[in-house]
Amino acid sequence: MADESILSDDLVRQLMSVGEVDILVGLHTHDHADTIGPVVQAIREGLINHFPRERVAILNADAGSSDGTRDLIRAAGIDDARYRSKLQTLRTLHVISSQYGTTVSPGIAMHIFVEAADLLRARGCAVVSPDSSDIQPDWVDRLLQPVLRGNIDLVTPTYRRHRFEGILVTNLMYPMMRALYGRNVREPRPAEFAFSDRLSGLLVNHPMWSQDAGRLGPEVCVTIEALAEGFPLAQTYLGARSHLEQQPGDLVAALRQSVGPLFWAMESLDGTWDKIQGVQAVPTNGPEYEVTEGTVKGDLTRLRQMFSSGVADLAPVLKSILSPAVLQQLQQVASLPEEQFDFTDELWVKVVYEFASSYRRSVINRDHIIQALAPLYRGRAYHFITQNQDVAPDALEQRVEALCESFERLKPYLVSLWTAQERGV
Amino acid sequence: MVSPPASLWYKDAVIYQVHVRAMHDSNGDGIGDFGGLAQKLDYLKELGINAIWLMPFFPSPLRDDGYDISDYYSIHPKYGTLDDFKTFLAAARERNIRVVIELVLNHTSDQHPWFQESRKSLDSPRRDWYVWSETDNRYHGTRIIFLDTEMSNWAWDPISKQYYWHRFFSHQPDLNYDNPAVREEMWNVMKFWLDLGVDGFRLDAVPYLVEREGTSCENLPETHSVIKELRQRLDENYPGKMLLAEANQWPADLQAYFGDGDEFHMAFHFPLMPRMFMALRLEDRKPITEILQQTPKIPDPCQWCLFLRNHDELTLEMVTDMERDYMYDEYARDKGMRLNLGIRRRLSPLLDNDRRRIELMNGLLMSLPGTPVIYYGDEIGMGDNIYLGDRHGVRTPMQWDGGWNAGFSGADPESLYSALILNPVYGYQAVNVERQKRSQHSLLNWTRRLLQVRKSTSIFGRGSIEFLYPANHRVLAFVRQLGNETVLAVNNLSASAQAVELDLSEFKGNILVEMFGRNIFPRVGELPYLLTLGPYQFYWFRLRRI
Repeated sequence: MADESILSDDLVRQLMSVGEVDILVGLHTHDHADTIGPVVQAIREGLINHFPRERVAILNADAGSSDGTRDLIRAAGIDDARYRSKLQTLRTLHVISSQYGTTVSPGIAMHIFVEAADLLRARGCAVVSPDSSDIQPDWVDRLLQPVLRGNIDLVTPTYRRHRFEGILVTNLMYPMMRALYGRNVREPRPAEFAFSDRLSGLLVNHPMWSQDAGRLGPEVCVTIEALAEGFPLAQTYLGARSHLEQQPGDLVAALRQSVGPLFWAMESLDGTWDKIQGVQAVPTNGPEYEVTEGTVKGDLTRLRQMFSSGVADLAPVLKSILSPAVLQQLQQVASLPEEQFDFTDELWVKVVYEFASSYRRSVINRDHIIQALAPLYRGRAYHFITQNQDVAPDALEQRVEALCESFERLKPYLVSLWTAQERGV
Repeated sequence: MVSPPASLWYKDAVIYQVHVRAMHDSNGDGIGDFGGLAQKLDYLKELGINAIWLMPFFPSPLRDDGYDISDYYSIHPKYGTLDDFKTFLAAARERNIRVVIELVLNHTSDQHPWFQESRKSLDSPRRDWYVWSETDNRYHGTRIIFLDTEMSNWAWDPISKQYYWHRFFSHQPDLNYDNPAVREEMWNVMKFWLDLGVDGFRLDAVPYLVEREGTSCENLPETHSVIKELRQRLDENYPGKMLLAEANQWPADLQAYFGDGDEFHMAFHFPLMPRMFMALRLEDRKPITEILQQTPKIPDPCQWCLFLRNHDELTLEMVTDMERDYMYDEYARDKGMRLNLGIRRRLSPLLDNDRRRIELMNGLLMSLPGTPVIYYGDEIGMGDNIYLGDRHGVRTPMQWDGGWNAGFSGADPESLYSALILNPVYGYQAVNVERQKRSQHSLLNWTRRLLQVRKSTSIFGRGSIEFLYPANHRVLAFVRQLGNETVLAVNNLSASAQAVELDLSEFKGNILVEMFGRNIFPRVGELPYLLTLGPYQFYWFRLRRI
């Protein structure tokens, strides 16, 4: 398996025909026929309008769609064998579709994009989500322009979001990555992003691809790699992005895809993040955040109940992960009546840091550690929502900023946990 | 094989375009002449061309390089006499070289006696030979062609106190083709030269012959009627002679100039030329295949005329704005290289003096459907001089050797009609015929070989074309067929080596014989035919079932 190429022979043949490109756009799909049409049309329009002279290719890595997704993508190609008089383009727009398997794997898809970008010597590669129903043609430009003309190696997005969408990002991923790596990347697990040939060159032989972290959350790994290696970063505002309703069972998957890679990378980058202090702003084209009003969907009470029951049910597991003091505080919070519920920033930060430390020490199966975080996250989410139901967008941002500062303030606590193991404490 | 009818000679021709002024000076006055041109016919014969297209050589004030004719029945004294022309014509015929001359139908010089007479008074018998108006508002909306120099298509005549119509320079008043006397006179002009023995005419600026209110004044039905009338007279009186149209138009508009085979025999394919350069720079065959897909079928006796460069700027009229911007940025970054809507540069400098690209472009010129035209000097890779103004930079003296005035003239260098190219890269001491004759691998000798191979078969001039569409878009591949003969052309448009898989299933069992080296390539089998090509490499294969 180790010697097996991530690129199938058929894909290599197709890439060979495309040859060197300036831009590669990656689309990872699995039965996305309902949404892929407008997405691929917007990409095509964006490429034609903003990069008419560049050599471009769209690469679809598909997990075995049976709904015609690949045909819809292939139809976006512009070549001379299918002459269309209305389209004014200088060049052929190559569209390649390749099925990599029958089980969805973001890591395999991302690995294919990276390998293909490196093989085709793409100066810039953008990855676009196949279900971004709000995508506009200028997203392509906003993502790729800084890479192609601004010497930026990783461009991540900022979106206009519903105030309580992406709580995992605002309450964990963003503040913790900011504390660890000293950069304010607002979307550390981006659905759309772009990277340079320099970064793809580094990623090609990266060990992440053979790890769960890389297989499940390659976007997080790529972001962290760019941060840790000091690549120039930029953020670009893409506007609204439709929120796809998250199924209850998706939380653990989301944690595996985001927190798992975050914790894994801390281990491999030991000696890097622990020395970083302060925060350096990432240049942003457009607003860093934009929040829309709206009510909270879903049953908040059930969220709190799942937290409380989780703390109780998982007590033996949590005991192996958390320090007695933190576990005790958690249990106290879990027992509080609704009106007194208070899952403070400091407690949340300590919980996360202790989880990270335990993950490193593999006190129990690492996946179980990630799963055990789910009920605690629900408690924190409940707290964040109830505390901020009526605050203005700026005040909400201040709360997020305060949480970030807590992560940064308590970073020495994390370092002490981390080094305690080395010290044999 | 049945010999093709001789009347279709133009389909098998390889035309050499030259201005008599630029070829060779036989009398030492610094200006090329017919005596000099006749001396160089052996060179042209050896090169392999079989037709010459002569740019205007008529008496003229030369304010537009002879396209401002002041007498249609004579030779400009600087180029010789009518007898000199006859001698040249006979010498060309001895060598089986056809001669096509240029005729400017649309306009004359303002110094032409016809115009002088016309402007004398409103009652002049020749008043109606030109297009006059009380106002400059007629034919409003007709585009101006020479944007860099002309503000209007009308010019005020202070003598007769009216405006006259001119589509080109204001010193080139348009003839009035609504006047039967004008049409008759132009036929008389053609008869005069046909009687001397020329083989055809390249008719300049044909879309603009007739004007009508509310139209673009281009490609009008009345213009086509004029051409049909001339063609009918030509066929009736001079069978086997040829008319070549200069009509810088889109293919769909050009089609009309072939009529039902009763207008022009040939027309330049203007939109293809810039797209060949575009495809090369983009490393993508799409511009070429798309324009040829849009090119309509023309009547059987008719033929497209193809060229890479000529005496004018590389015209960018028949491209989109996006394509024009691209061409300017890629081929004329220095704004001094731009003129009107085009680029005033020769082939070799356009291609950065890259031998491989020059060969590839010539290979395309010789293998795409049509009759190719080679612009004088391009066969040795002559350079240009954009500082000479207008289009003079691509009209400098032919560089024969590294000696006095490049072997062009024995006159004092200061008296040459144009400065020679002197720079170290393209100057005559580096780029000249004599030097390249001595080198087996020179561009000149390579071009000779190319023409030999082209002329070894009628397929390039007369065969059909079918594009293959291999997945690799950097490779342009097409099949030419004529009768039971088949040739496959494969061209790598990119600067890097390419692999390509060709679907040759239709030709399964054939072997491929490379036409230059006559080497045999593997037989076509079940699988796609795999070829590898070096940077800018091209192959011509004859397919043979053995």
